[in-house]
Amino acid sequence: MKIISSIYSIAVIGVSLGLASCSAEGDYPGTEYAPQMYHSVPYEGLSQITNEEEGQWLSTREDGKGEFFNSNTNNPNRMNMREPVANTVPRNKEGILPYRLKVADLEGAASTQNPIPLNDEVLADGKRLFVQYCTPCHGSGGEGDGKAGMVIGGVANLKGGAYLNLSEGHIFHVITHGKGRMGAHGSQITADRRWEIVHYVKQEIQKQ
Amino acid sequence: MSIKRSLLGVSIRVCHLMVLIFLFSGIQAYAVDPEVPDSEEAISAGQSIFNANCKTCHRLDQKLIGPALRGVTDRRELAWIKQFITNSQVLVQGGDADAVALFKEFNNTVMPAHDFLSDGDLTNLLSYIEFGDKVDPAAAAAAAGAEGGEAASSGGGIPNEYLTIILVVLVIVLVLVLVVLGLIVSVLTKYMNKNDDLDEDDKAFINQKTDYKGIFKSDGMIIIVTAIVLAFVVKTAINGLYTVGVQQGYAPSQPIAYSHELHAGQYEIPCQYCHTGVEIGKSANIPSANICMNCHMHIQNVEGKDGISPEIAKIYDAVDNNKPIEWVRVHNLPDLAYFNHSQHVVVGGVECQTCHGPVEEMEVVSQYSALTMGWCIDCHRNTEIDTQGNEYYDKLVQLHSESSNDALKVKDIGGLECAKCHY
Repeated sequence: MKIISSIYSIAVIGVSLGLASCSAEGDYPGTEYAPQMYHSVPYEGLSQITNEEEGQWLSTREDGKGEFFNSNTNNPNRMNMREPVANTVPRNKEGILPYRLKVADLEGAASTQNPIPLNDEVLADGKRLFVQYCTPCHGSGGEGDGKAGMVIGGVANLKGGAYLNLSEGHIFHVITHGKGRMGAHGSQITADRRWEIVHYVKQEIQKQ
Repeated sequence: MSIKRSLLGVSIRVCHLMVLIFLFSGIQAYAVDPEVPDSEEAISAGQSIFNANCKTCHRLDQKLIGPALRGVTDRRELAWIKQFITNSQVLVQGGDADAVALFKEFNNTVMPAHDFLSDGDLTNLLSYIEFGDKVDPAAAAAAAGAEGGEAASSGGGIPNEYLTIILVVLVIVLVLVLVVLGLIVSVLTKYMNKNDDLDEDDKAFINQKTDYKGIFKSDGMIIIVTAIVLAFVVKTAINGLYTVGVQQGYAPSQPIAYSHELHAGQYEIPCQYCHTGVEIGKSANIPSANICMNCHMHIQNVEGKDGISPEIAKIYDAVDNNKPIEWVRVHNLPDLAYFNHSQHVVVGGVECQTCHGPVEEMEVVSQYSALTMGWCIDCHRNTEIDTQGNEYYDKLVQLHSESSNDALKVKDIGGLECAKCHY
């Protein structure tokens, strides 16, 4: 009889262990093994631990805060990023300088030349990028019939007569700064990739 | 004269009202300019011009970005209309009262110039606007009905309820079989007992009683139960230990109730539109509020509801106050492992869904894969390398084929080296 009762007590412990499981669910990320190797010591790009007490129980920090506290209190809104130093000019490895024409300077934009030489590889890239960034509104054929575009309304039909004769520079300018109901996409797509999209629109979409 | 004119004004207003009232009933309640032809060729020529140039902002019977167009030749002079289509800004800047009023009514939206359209094109366009695509109430109702039917009949396969019903029926049948078998046993026992020419052994066999208590207390039973319980406890413990440090299923609530199902699923916005870093950097990136605003400066609520949705208002609040939206990261790789998105997406050509699962079906995103080292290594062991058209691999493939019959895989070019990910 003793054996049986001990079996039952083990079973109860086992079931309760199973219920209080260590796995992640909903807002709970789950139990961690060796948390000191999990959490980043340097500032982490897309996650922060803002609770100063977190990991207090194994903290060896000199400032007395929790071991896992990882948030940049010196920057505005605790962000890790800072804006570039004033008057510095970024340029990429192809030497393309930032696009400097102002939003209203469509005339200046129209005479800008495409710095990316046209070839099949660029066209393939342009097509891929067009699908990623343009089709939600302009549709896969550029006819202004993308699913999100239907909700927004007023999306340009890139094959429409009003758009056929636009210069490459004009299209680049509009992708960068937006125009009419279109938002600015300069922050999402790098300059060289925007020029590739321009090539694709001019060579493929508008010649179909 | 003045009375006449005011009467005319009233009649025009009444006419406009009639247009509004009968818009969808398809009854023509206005006078089309007689110069606009109603021939089939003119209408179909006009339709292709309309679809190419006007459709994105205008509908015939519905106000969109610009006004509803049907009846325009009744509202305005023909020459004015053609001038407005050709270059509306000339009229607006020239101070034409009607043009300025329209411009203001539609939030100073500039209508692009269409100076490439000839006078004949414009006439055809107007005949489509006035005579094309008349709404036929019966046909519209039929179309709506058909759509509803299609929606109802979608979602093939065997529905869950049927499976449940089948299971229940099966269980009932099995219970009935058991009852019948029991009845047969008792009938047979009674029949055998009536037989007198049976010896003692057979009688004992027929009338034997099962000793349940004895079985329960026997050593064999105790050993079996102990073994089962122990196995269960050990299995639970091992399963539990395996989930330590694995965040599979983690689905944190976010500051904005953003639905990937709606954006990526229903509206088919590609992942890269918002996660812009995925091809050029280590992280796929969580989009900043200005990317939301590309669409949400126009879309203020879901499914055409009025007012601003409280969730979308949070984007406006972040933009107005220049504050970041503090999204909660779902996929937290341990700091001891290095992972780079561009290497896998651009070089490896791995689809987002391979690791992240069907995000376009997730209302709240949860971690789909285990993201353990075994999971990484498994893929590196099995994934073949696309060496076609890439000179870099020519020598490698040659060397590899000398020592192995397998295709060149990620493990063969260092995919299992510790220092690739841990350093």
